[in-house]
Amino acid sequence: MDAELIGRAQHGDEEAFASLAVAVGDRLHAVAHRILRDINLAENATQQALLTIWRDLPQLRDPARFDAWSYRLLVRACFAEGRRTRRWAPNLLLLPVDHPVDAEGLSSVVDRDQLERGFRRLSIDHRAVVVLHHYLDMPLDEVAETLGVPVGTVRSRLHHAMRGLRAALEADLRPTALEATR
Amino acid sequence: MRTEREATRTVRAWLEEGVTALPDRVLDAVLDQVPMTPQRRARWPARRIPDMNTYAKLAISAAAVVVVALVGIRLLPVSGGVGGGGPAASPTASPSPTPRATATPSPAAVFPNKGELAVGSRQAMTLAGVPLTLSVPASGWLSNGTFAIDKGSFPATWEGGFIFWSDATPTGVFTDPCGQTKGPAIGSSAADLAAAVATVPGTDLIGAPSNVTVGGYPAKRVVLHVREDARCPAGSFYLWYAPGPDLERYATELGSTIRVWIVDVNGTLVWIDGETSKDAAAGVAREMQQIIDSIQFAP
Repeated sequence: MDAELIGRAQHGDEEAFASLAVAVGDRLHAVAHRILRDINLAENATQQALLTIWRDLPQLRDPARFDAWSYRLLVRACFAEGRRTRRWAPNLLLLPVDHPVDAEGLSSVVDRDQLERGFRRLSIDHRAVVVLHHYLDMPLDEVAETLGVPVGTVRSRLHHAMRGLRAALEADLRPTALEATR
Repeated sequence: MRTEREATRTVRAWLEEGVTALPDRVLDAVLDQVPMTPQRRARWPARRIPDMNTYAKLAISAAAVVVVALVGIRLLPVSGGVGGGGPAASPTASPSPTPRATATPSPAAVFPNKGELAVGSRQAMTLAGVPLTLSVPASGWLSNGTFAIDKGSFPATWEGGFIFWSDATPTGVFTDPCGQTKGPAIGSSAADLAAAVATVPGTDLIGAPSNVTVGGYPAKRVVLHVREDARCPAGSFYLWYAPGPDLERYATELGSTIRVWIVDVNGTLVWIDGETSKDAAAGVAREMQQIIDSIQFAP
């Protein structure tokens, strides 16, 4: 990220922040959407994160840490959004996302469905670790720094999350009651 | 059955799908609010080393060396606490100013190899620098190769129980498990730790701290039930912590029962805890206790 742009935004330059928001907005939104699995919640979280970035930018001591810092604020916003939704709309029906049918590595629509269900059973903390590591390719020590938790905690969360997702994928391999009687 | 690598590849491919562009209306809404949102500035200038005099720098450097040495000594014999690293290299840490059993790191991490543990055979591991062996009383107990022994293989045959073997002994508990607020470090005796464990908010004390023996050494045993009405998910419900970056234990399920054994092996505390889920198979807790009863220390 452009350190000069960050420096100007830190000193209240709204135009510089606008450029910054354009530069990072897509990336933050993509991450939020993958964590929350809902387009409206992701938009809310991204909006909140961008405003928090603007508000707290003067407190960022090292502009080189901007990316990790912005992801940390985004994950907090996702957590708040997820919690608010859970508290107020526990039975909210989350619609499936649009996706291509021939993505590499996904053997079937069933995989997507099972992953979607498995992922939604994870806490936001666990989802964030999976997304930062497997979507952004962030090393575990960077994930730990971004989330402000020990590396061991990240490893544990990733272990539990991937175990859950693998279990979800395996679920479609078990024969249904109907198949079992054939 | 998919391999772990195949499952990871599938998850990664799935994550690649989905939206990547932030709608202009959202960006516009943010930028509309910026002029009305004052920025928050740090109230105090950061204290940096260049601001300090030479003696202060030297004092901090010396303190850092001591801390690194102590942490190094503590972590070198790691046998795989949560996220513990691989086998330690030949230890070269300088002597600890307060000699304890843990100040003599073992040359390599020890933990049962990944896979099912044979019934009746002795399994070796090192906890807090103390070697020990144990055996399992029934089939179906599997080592994850680093820090846990599960009853069954998750998810297909998992029976709702595991024992967590931590190389680092916790020194404090969380006073707000959901807010992840650490309480201060507590006394260093098994009784102090057990008393603190018994007070973790959001849990019900099923078994108050009691005196037991493990492997012939005095120990404290505490049993907690993690309430199901916690205001955060299980993975965010923190119980206790150890110094250093690698151990903050959280409940893996709300509604689970957690048993803690704090064993005093000639002055070195060895911490063992086991968790059973609310729907654990009958007999898992009993077998867990039998594993604990089978422990033999070789300090």
